[in-house]
Amino acid sequence: MISIQTEDVDIGVLIREAKKPETGAVVVFDGVVRDDNITEMELEAYEDVAKQELERIAGDATVKFRLQHVDIIHRIGRLLVGENILIIVVAAGHRNEAYDGSRFIIEAIKAGVPIWKKELTKDGGRWVPGEHGHGTKKTP
Amino acid sequence: MTVKIRFFAQFRELLGTDIITDVSSGMTFVALIQTIAKKNPAGYTAIFDENGAFREFVILMKNGKRIDITDAAKTPVVDGDDIAVFPPVAGG
Repeated sequence: MISIQTEDVDIGVLIREAKKPETGAVVVFDGVVRDDNITEMELEAYEDVAKQELERIAGDATVKFRLQHVDIIHRIGRLLVGENILIIVVAAGHRNEAYDGSRFIIEAIKAGVPIWKKELTKDGGRWVPGEHGHGTKKTP
Repeated sequence: MTVKIRFFAQFRELLGTDIITDVSSGMTFVALIQTIAKKNPAGYTAIFDENGAFREFVILMKNGKRIDITDAAKTPVVDGDDIAVFPPVAGG
């Protein structure tokens, strides 16, 4: 399942459905809202493009690491401290492919999928800075 | 000729989003977004530098595909374009 949604998911169900007879390893990445003196986190996405990007990343990871199954669920909307933001479930024949595939997916999401986070505090809020360098301004 | 402009994250807070506007034939991306951004000086300053060029971290998309910000000055918008303007992404 590749999804951008407000609702949480049951990770146990995802793990169960990821397993195939030939599966030797399932790796779960669960990104959660950390308490950096915030009250809530608000997430926003350019949904159409973000979903296409997640699907492309899942496809690339499947080929590159011979994954048997990939789930990526990125939540949007307002989330409380401790809530799930991003769940990645990958299944592979062996642990190395599963770990490497999971790492590839999270790094690709952070590098290029159009989703933004705002940390809400008692005094207002602050946008979490993204990684610079991808405005693609050419050098002369 | 009508186009749609979407701003995201802090740009959306400053300038709004899903802005549908009429544009004249031959108008470039830079000219269009400058015109809209000038409605809020803070929004304009967030996106453009003192020379009126896109700040180097600004990301542009046309119909879901990235456009190099240095090409935006010479690329005209066309009827039906869906344009997105946003800061560096921070998901995950």
